[in-house]
Amino acid sequence: MTSGRLAGLGVLVAIGAITAYASLLRVALVRNHPEGYVIAFALATALAALAVVRPRARRWPAWLALGFTSLLLVGGAWFNFVIARVPDGPTALRVGERPPDFTLPDAAGRPVSLADYRGQKPVVLVFYRGYW
Amino acid sequence: MGELQGLGAALSEAERIGVEIIAISPDPNERSQKLAQGLRLAYRFVSDRDLAVTRRYGLLHAGAGPNGEDVPRPATVVLDRDGVVRWFSVTRNYQVRPDPDDVLRAVRAL
Repeated sequence: MTSGRLAGLGVLVAIGAITAYASLLRVALVRNHPEGYVIAFALATALAALAVVRPRARRWPAWLALGFTSLLLVGGAWFNFVIARVPDGPTALRVGERPPDFTLPDAAGRPVSLADYRGQKPVVLVFYRGYW
Repeated sequence: MGELQGLGAALSEAERIGVEIIAISPDPNERSQKLAQGLRLAYRFVSDRDLAVTRRYGLLHAGAGPNGEDVPRPATVVLDRDGVVRWFSVTRNYQVRPDPDDVLRAVRAL
């Protein structure tokens, strides 16, 4: 494959990975394997690197592709393995035990108590980071 | 909020079989209300403004918010009718949330 085509393919793989990840975020299999985009960026970077070392190649498109893909690789890996990491640690949750009770206001300002559901119905608690 | 969208479809079945879903975040109430309406979910959104409950549950992730504020470690907990924990999941990477099918399986097993 020519240098130009390799460089193009590398850029295509990188952009394809971003598009696929963003549009398939609702699919648990995609959302729960964010390392997938890091692997795709690594593949894209490898393709661009191949384009650079191809003999008799016009160099600047290959270097441009390599810059673009390696930037995504470093940024993506940094985000996935450093920024998005949540520390492990002891919780108050034990299977077979009751968790701490609480009373918190709902969206209308009415108090919601966990204890009120006891003997009434099962509950799923979802702790999430917020609107942003 | 991605995790709520992800859970939405599967948990609408949980709602149908009579499970209460309580979503807890430090978001102010007005914002939660807007989110609830936007996603058209029948969750009870409750606001843990000072993260006191989140801390009591051992789910505080200190200084990890976009402006260095404390945020919860995303977690999903399934409680049976007696309020006893039957299944739970705490994420190690905030992009990753429990598979809605796993949550639903835990709910169905109650």
